Amino acid sequence: MGARAGRAVAAVWLGVVVTLIYLPMLSVLLASLANTRYMRFPHRVWTLDAYREALFGVGQADTLRLHQTSLAIALAVVVLAVAIAVFGALAFARARWRGRGLFRTLVMLPIFFPQPVLGLALLLALTAAGITPDWRTAVFAHLVWIAPIVTLVISIRLYGYDAAQEEAAFDLGATRLQVFREVTLPALAPGIVSGALFGFLLSWSNLPLSVFTTGADTTLPEWLFSRTATNYSPLVPAVAVIATAASAVIVAAVAVIWRLAGPRRG
Amino acid sequence: MTAGQDGRAFLVLDGLTRRFSGRPAVDGVSLSIPEGEFFTIVGPSGSGKSTLIRMLAGLERPDAGRILLRGADITAMPANRRPTCMVFQSLALFSHRSVGENIAFALKMRGVDAATRRARALELMELVRLPADYLDRPVTQCSGGERQRVALARALASDPEILFFDEPLSAIDYRLRKILEMEMKDLHARTGKTFLYITHSLEEAMVMSDRIAIMRAGRIVQIGPPREIYARPNSRFVAEFMGEVNVFAVRGGRIEGLDRPAAAQSGFLILRPEALRPLGPADHADVSFPARIETGYLLGSRSQLHLSALGRRLVAELPGAAAAELRPGQEGRWGFDLADAVVTPE
Repeated sequence: MGARAGRAVAAVWLGVVVTLIYLPMLSVLLASLANTRYMRFPHRVWTLDAYREALFGVGQADTLRLHQTSLAIALAVVVLAVAIAVFGALAFARARWRGRGLFRTLVMLPIFFPQPVLGLALLLALTAAGITPDWRTAVFAHLVWIAPIVTLVISIRLYGYDAAQEEAAFDLGATRLQVFREVTLPALAPGIVSGALFGFLLSWSNLPLSVFTTGADTTLPEWLFSRTATNYSPLVPAVAVIATAASAVIVAAVAVIWRLAGPRRG
Repeated sequence: MTAGQDGRAFLVLDGLTRRFSGRPAVDGVSLSIPEGEFFTIVGPSGSGKSTLIRMLAGLERPDAGRILLRGADITAMPANRRPTCMVFQSLALFSHRSVGENIAFALKMRGVDAATRRARALELMELVRLPADYLDRPVTQCSGGERQRVALARALASDPEILFFDEPLSAIDYRLRKILEMEMKDLHARTGKTFLYITHSLEEAMVMSDRIAIMRAGRIVQIGPPREIYARPNSRFVAEFMGEVNVFAVRGGRIEGLDRPAAAQSGFLILRPEALRPLGPADHADVSFPARIETGYLLGSRSQLHLSALGRRLVAELPGAAAAELRPGQEGRWGFDLADAVVTPE
């Protein structure tokens, strides 16, 4: 009886947690279906006007531009972060060299920096260097914070991996390049995919770094924040839902491609 | 066996040395291995045997010395160009590939087409006695013994002149190890290739090798056929490698504790446990003394007895039947013949 009661409590607890996590997200969806500036529920009128405005309205060009900017930043961050992280992870998880510990600390340190402070510091540095911030400087800012995280994700793969495989491949006649392509990269692949997904989502949703470093360009999170603060309308949750759907589609596409392309890479 | 001009000049190591932060791990090793030999280097961990074999495979660069293969200097040749292959301690199988892909890896690197690779992989799987339906199985699903066979087949794929083995059986349980030792010896006979094997187990080396080198602190201390290493160890270190032995110090030309003249001025008298035997009233031995049995262990076909005699402890081993009536606490006369003992200088 005790076990049954325990299970019931656990089930209720799970239900509460799941509701608390997902209800706010649901409320964004509900808010986007209204036509009033004030959130009141249930709506008197259910409408897709906000979506119509976001996708085909007068301000259409502006909201699409938000997605483009965020996507451009996120993709650039993913490509650069993965390239940096693969070699960074190899350098600190595998190769033995003097100063490895210091290198690891330096690489990891930005993660522990409060992001607004990091953003402000980068803005000051950019200004001092005479660089006008735009979406490209935001790519740099995101990289400072995201590349270490992707490095961490990829290096976890390396700890559970027998480096003698590389020596074996070399011994079996592979060139250094072949060793990397045939052994190291496939072994790292799951780490690279999860690191890339992680990096994409972190950049796509980043506000504190973007606020300081995008200059005249605006990302989705920035726009959502400022429009909620000053000029709210159902357009805001509608754009948020579109952005969420877009990132969900991208994540799902990567997952499906991964599943189809690499069943034996496991 | 097709040796070059001189069968003994197939693989020659000449003063091979490797230092790690100043300390020599391998210290001027010179060896000559004829083609087709099963040669084993035995040493405790830290003796430099791994570093030595890695230099031979081209994975480690020597600080001094030369490696000659059929008279050609291959010291500076990297591992991927050497006609040699290594079976690693961890086996180092490519964990994201199938059995067939592992075995045919060397061929893929050489640009051999897929059909030929597949055929060759199947051929090698038959050689190492892996069932053909393992071809597409992921290596991660293979058992310990199967993985061992995959590693062997993979190393043989490029038809290397020499196969190196870096303690591949050290992590395998006793029963399987015994089987694999026999398979290894059999494979050596069937392929006719030169095998260079390293292990910390002299027992393993005895079973498989044509010749054994004992390594200690970066140097080779004795080389010879297994029988000779066992019967005529040239030092206490080599003698103790095989298992428990009775050691008597020799000083001033006399064997301490026995009060007899020795064949050398100083060194050790080494007495294997099986050289000691209980003496009946009519039995004679060169050296005899009263002894008391302290403990006895059954080792399957043999029994090991711990004796207290001559004011010390001695170890004896007898065939099971001979030990049947001996019990701890029994006292009697024991002895050995000097011909069964070896005197070593160190």
